[in-house]
Amino acid sequence: MSTIAARQKMNRRRIFDSPIAGPLITTVAVFSLLCATVPHFLTMRSLSGILNAATLTGMVTVGITLLMMAGEFDLSVGPIMAMAAFLYGFHSVQGGNQLWALFLALLIPALMGALNGFIVIRTGIPSFIATLATRFIYGGAVWLYSAGQMFQTIENVPIYSVFNGRLDLIADRIAGANFRTSAFWLIGMVLLFQYVLVRTRFGNHVFGTGGNPGATAAQGVNVKWVKFTCFVMSGVLAGLAGILLFSQYKTVKIATGSGEELNAIAAAVIGGTVLTGGSGSVVGALIGVLLISMLRTGVVLVNLVPADNFGAIVGVTIVGAAIINNWIRNRS
Amino acid sequence: MSETPVVHMESIVKRFGTVTALDNVDLTVGRQQVMALVGDNGAGKSTLIKILTGIYMPTSGQIYFEGQPVQIRSPQEARALGIETVYQDLALVNQMSIARNFFLGREPVRQIGPVHWLDMRKMNDQTYLSLRDIGIEIRSPVEKVGKLSGGERQSIAIGRALFFGARLLILDEPTSALSVAETHKVLTYTLNAKERGLSVIFITHNIHHVYQVADAYTIIRHGKRVGTYTKAELTPDDIAALITGEREY
Repeated sequence: MSTIAARQKMNRRRIFDSPIAGPLITTVAVFSLLCATVPHFLTMRSLSGILNAATLTGMVTVGITLLMMAGEFDLSVGPIMAMAAFLYGFHSVQGGNQLWALFLALLIPALMGALNGFIVIRTGIPSFIATLATRFIYGGAVWLYSAGQMFQTIENVPIYSVFNGRLDLIADRIAGANFRTSAFWLIGMVLLFQYVLVRTRFGNHVFGTGGNPGATAAQGVNVKWVKFTCFVMSGVLAGLAGILLFSQYKTVKIATGSGEELNAIAAAVIGGTVLTGGSGSVVGALIGVLLISMLRTGVVLVNLVPADNFGAIVGVTIVGAAIINNWIRNRS
Repeated sequence: MSETPVVHMESIVKRFGTVTALDNVDLTVGRQQVMALVGDNGAGKSTLIKILTGIYMPTSGQIYFEGQPVQIRSPQEARALGIETVYQDLALVNQMSIARNFFLGREPVRQIGPVHWLDMRKMNDQTYLSLRDIGIEIRSPVEKVGKLSGGERQSIAIGRALFFGARLLILDEPTSALSVAETHKVLTYTLNAKERGLSVIFITHNIHHVYQVADAYTIIRHGKRVGTYTKAELTPDDIAALITGEREY
């Protein structure tokens, strides 16, 4: 059979093969359900709100997904976010150099990610444990840097609108469309990293490293370097999340970001990434984050469950999505 | 006809602390020859092969590759010489497609700036065509390896080694987990590889599998080479006896 014919035949079956088949189905189903049952759900205001609410966790999830694809975890993204937000905040106010603030807020998280990678690779400690430890260590670093104080500002520093500006073009045309630039940063990063994963040599190495590190190393790939790079990326993206956070809220405290690591892992898993690595999708992670955000909005608008108990609904979604993803994976 | 053997390992000794894993072992593999390396579990076959593939360095002894004395310090150096190994479960990544596996570590790329973009079309087409050239028909290069049978996976790993110009192929227990039909496929591909000019070291403790394809046998017992015999000299029962020690030579 010629390759062209073979390719066409395979393309038909590939829809179910895609790692986002499951998440896509779940999200479309939930979206339809919410549109039907929740008043004012299908409005620009509500939809833009869903996207905006997903941005911070989404940014962290992109990095976590990449790292999980390589077979590792990073539980320290919360304090990394907080550290980035403090650095960015402190250095951008009162006429500080905004680019320097931005640079620091990406560099330090990169180093924190690098330290995570270094510990895991050098000591052989499972990343789950190692980053659990660095979570506390970095939390301490944040405490020291911030002197235990919350930081906030009312200044309108220009760089804040780069990361969380109001998109006037759309906002003025469509009523209620409160899309912010942060959403575009998120989508941009999702597309960038999905492309890197699926279309570059490095991405192929990431798949291999997570799927079967022994086989990948046997083919001459430097598995340690691949993992190290993913740890750094996870740190950088958590840093970017911190920048987005401060640009939006102009406030940061020590507890900022706490719990994001679990939200991110949940979103990644809902989005089709396998816990053991080697299979998944960054776009799927975006879908996962949007699904969770959708549910939260739906719950609030319907007032069915007290909004405080939203966590339970997320839990049910994780299990449901995991079952569906698994079922589709096994079918194909 | 004295042709330089592909590989000649001479008087290899390997000690781990006080344990002597290999005691003055010789191994010679000729051109286009399938050499069976047989011995019971723990006899030292793995250790010998790990030395040949650069995972260990011998305590003493010398390796000659195509007549030249060599030092093989890493798996990369072994591959550079043309020594490729197919391990049972360390050959392929199940979650990835055949093409991605085929070119893992040697991806054809287009470099734009610092980024290396995969040439997916080349990967897919070349995978399909080169496997077909070797006699391995796959349904599609984008199919995930995990969906294939054990024998199909082994054959792809063998095809990969052939494509990348291996001179010596080491098959580590390739048929141990396979069905009868699958085993037959793998043995066929082993012979195909030989016909294409490769030499093969076939490691196994299953005498009956290897008896069908091997030209000669090197038998290892307790870290020592019991002997090297051609196919004509031994029956499978003889080999079994030599492995277990019932017979001394």
